[in-house]
Amino acid sequence: MLTYEGLTQDLADRVLAHVLKRGGDLADLYVEEKTSLSLRLEDGRVEEAVSGVDRGASLRVVRDASSVFGYVDAVEEGDLMRLARELGAANAVGGGEAVAVHSGAVSTGDKAAVASAEHHAARGARLLKIADVSARTVSAEVRQVVASYGESRQRVWIAGSYAPLTSDLRQRVMLSVTVTAQRNGLLQTAHDSLAYVGGLEAPDEGTVRALASEVACRAVALLDSRPAPAGRMPVVLANGFGGVLFHEACGHGLEADHVLKRSSVWVGKVGQRVAPEHVFAYDDGSLPCMWGSSGCDDEGMACGRTVLIEAGILTGYLTDRLRASQLRLALTGNGRRQDFRHLPYPRMTNTFIGPGVQTVAELIADTPYGLYARAFSGGQVNPASGEFVFGVSEAYLIEKGRVTAPLRGATLIGSGPEILQAIDAIANDLVIKPGTCGKEGQSVPVGTGQPTLRIREMTVGGTTT
Amino acid sequence: MNGPGSRPRITEEQSPLEVAKAVLARGVHLSAELEVYVSYGSTVEISAFGGNVESIVRARPRGVGVRALSRGRMGYVFTADLSPWGLDQVVAEAVSVSEAADVDPYMALADPPDQPYPNLPGLWSPDVNMTDLATKTRMTLEAEAAALSVSGVETVEASVYFDEDERVAIVSTKGLQAETQRSFCLLYVWAHAGEGSDRQSGIGFTAGRTPGLLNPEKAGREAAEKARVLVGGRPCPTGVYTVVLAREVAAALIACIIPALSADAVQKGRSVFARKMGEHVASSCLTVRDDGLALEGAAASPFDDEGVPRQVTSLLEQGALRSYLYDTRAARRAGPSFHSTGNAARSGYRAAPSVAPSNLVVEPGEGDLLSVVERVGDGLYVESVIGLHSGINPVSGEISIGVAGRRISEGCLGEAVCGITLASDFLALLGSVREVAGDNRWIPLYGSVCAPTMAVENVVVSGG
Repeated sequence: MLTYEGLTQDLADRVLAHVLKRGGDLADLYVEEKTSLSLRLEDGRVEEAVSGVDRGASLRVVRDASSVFGYVDAVEEGDLMRLARELGAANAVGGGEAVAVHSGAVSTGDKAAVASAEHHAARGARLLKIADVSARTVSAEVRQVVASYGESRQRVWIAGSYAPLTSDLRQRVMLSVTVTAQRNGLLQTAHDSLAYVGGLEAPDEGTVRALASEVACRAVALLDSRPAPAGRMPVVLANGFGGVLFHEACGHGLEADHVLKRSSVWVGKVGQRVAPEHVFAYDDGSLPCMWGSSGCDDEGMACGRTVLIEAGILTGYLTDRLRASQLRLALTGNGRRQDFRHLPYPRMTNTFIGPGVQTVAELIADTPYGLYARAFSGGQVNPASGEFVFGVSEAYLIEKGRVTAPLRGATLIGSGPEILQAIDAIANDLVIKPGTCGKEGQSVPVGTGQPTLRIREMTVGGTTT
Repeated sequence: MNGPGSRPRITEEQSPLEVAKAVLARGVHLSAELEVYVSYGSTVEISAFGGNVESIVRARPRGVGVRALSRGRMGYVFTADLSPWGLDQVVAEAVSVSEAADVDPYMALADPPDQPYPNLPGLWSPDVNMTDLATKTRMTLEAEAAALSVSGVETVEASVYFDEDERVAIVSTKGLQAETQRSFCLLYVWAHAGEGSDRQSGIGFTAGRTPGLLNPEKAGREAAEKARVLVGGRPCPTGVYTVVLAREVAAALIACIIPALSADAVQKGRSVFARKMGEHVASSCLTVRDDGLALEGAAASPFDDEGVPRQVTSLLEQGALRSYLYDTRAARRAGPSFHSTGNAARSGYRAAPSVAPSNLVVEPGEGDLLSVVERVGDGLYVESVIGLHSGINPVSGEISIGVAGRRISEGCLGEAVCGITLASDFLALLGSVREVAGDNRWIPLYGSVCAPTMAVENVVVSGG
């Protein structure tokens, strides 16, 4: 169902010139065409097969820090010009000088694969059934398997008063498995996913089988777990999705919109020590094949690496065009949006803490007592206070340097600035995992990562006092 | 089938119902059963910051979603391309994508209702579109100014006005035909008080079916007051407390727990409420119903998202489990004596329907916050929550969330408390409710819930 041939510089110029006729500091046009397919298996059956096309455009004009934004579920010239007229009228708050529209060469990220979208429904369905069977084979206590397959192909064209037309192609495939295990009245769940960026190649059957078995084993093992303790204690966070810690405790507060509003605990802290010397942290949207990567951000700025913390010193914030110009900061390629229906905001891409030198075995052997958090269910932060939580879905007790009893999930709570300072050991096993980040009602794919690390002490929200 | 070359557009005058019928007509030659959902929206969103307009977003989203049931398999396709060519495509694609699904013996499209759909005067008001942008902008700025006028409030992170005017039509090859229009306006404020690491936040809101029903000043002051009282908060000692849940917190928890009463979750072994029909799963002071017709609730509508009439369903009656929530498919699976409770929901034309609550109403008791606090005597007042999506497991029913509020001692509200967690599980929490106040408020922030202040015993709080 792909029919759109793409935005041209000429049309973009005319639309932007029109919307800026009555003045404005910045304007941009964002055109998107996205095809998606999703399949959902439960009870051993593919119950739902959904496909669709999102095709639309949005236009933004900013004047004196006020943004006027509108979108249409259409991409043709008449639709874009009509949108420009409407927004131009809404922007007419007095006089003002017209801004020249910057014009230049078209830089397309990928021109090869504009052919019709090929959906891979049958292939996806087969993988979901493999996941189901693999999980159920693990134990008779596996009560339910929910497996989802999703693929999308998003093509965007971005033209701004600040830059020539840019295009990017983002292709993503995700397969996720959630297993429910049951023993008498007790239900426990485990979840994991595979994610691929860059093409529409599906995961191979062996990988899916291994993922589903592992998730099922974890769900069944949780049936033997005991409730987590309540109170303050040392916490060792496993590598990979444990990176939610940095994402919530620090990352959101470094997004420049919070800095601009002075509603971040990190305002005025650049150049200051915020963590011990062994802590390095980065945001990098250019890492190959990572879930938060793309060719450019949603304002046409090439993605790259931003050092956030260097040897414990805070070194920078994450910006989009608007906040970078208001705060006079460099552009970092973090202007992202969920789709054409939303305004761009500064958002993380792949955010992670750099590796240390210790092995995980050494780190745990060096921990007399604590909570070992193995799997995570996401988190939330209030950037203004720095207070954050994140959910641990699978944990173990550490006693005398050894991992012992399995524990049920619990939320961990802390304050960003305190927790960063309390990172007292970092292992050498960095892994970045896929996730979805929500902010301003928009979801974007992100990578979150870290090596296994230890927090000297934090509050564990268990039920055993 | 025509190519995409010449693409006459659906005209402005064509109603969602006319578009839906036009889609259905394209599928009459197919062997599949079809259901067509069409939505036309018109929305305005205004954000204020620092006394100025930060952004204005205007949009008219439109789209169609087609559910095809072909030889027992269900496919769903959506598009915003309402040209004749786009509509041809969406029907054909719905049938072809269904081939990837397995045969589902319970799947069926909804039957047309025996009775006319309920009439809900006031569900829509032209005022939402007649009120000009300047008035809506003024309200947004007023709310921000009201928050900033409260001493101790340093910043207002967001003051946001949002409204929506939506027309929806559903038709099917079973002869179902439903059409409605609804409006809703919400203004919320997020304010911060205090400084540095002792900065605290509060949310205030005001909602209604027309802009004229909103009280921006009250919403601004509410956000400010809620932030201000938390300043200076510290963790309380870890222990077992009686907690008093503010209405907004009670609403958030109810909104997280009740989806486990979805018959779909129960039938598939994903609910702690399975095999508990008729049992006392909650304290006898708790009565909860799903009310799809309550106009004050954001989810009110004459029919659900597959065209089944909305209704009132008693879920918990003095603690006893009275009903699960059903859509057409879950009711068929439950057996011949079951019917849909009108709880099919979708997040828009881009999603197939699934089972979800509409408006949830907790039956009010007596008294208000202060009288509950007085009776509790010693405990914790919980005013805000963080980490609902990561800290509540809808299957196992485990709850562990971050909270903030105030100590309760000698029957009075005392010092601020923050940086703590509250942990329980669905059955333990519902079973330990010891009092329900009579101060119900409609809260459109976590689904749509009308909740009173509630007191719950024996809750583990983890703090300092």
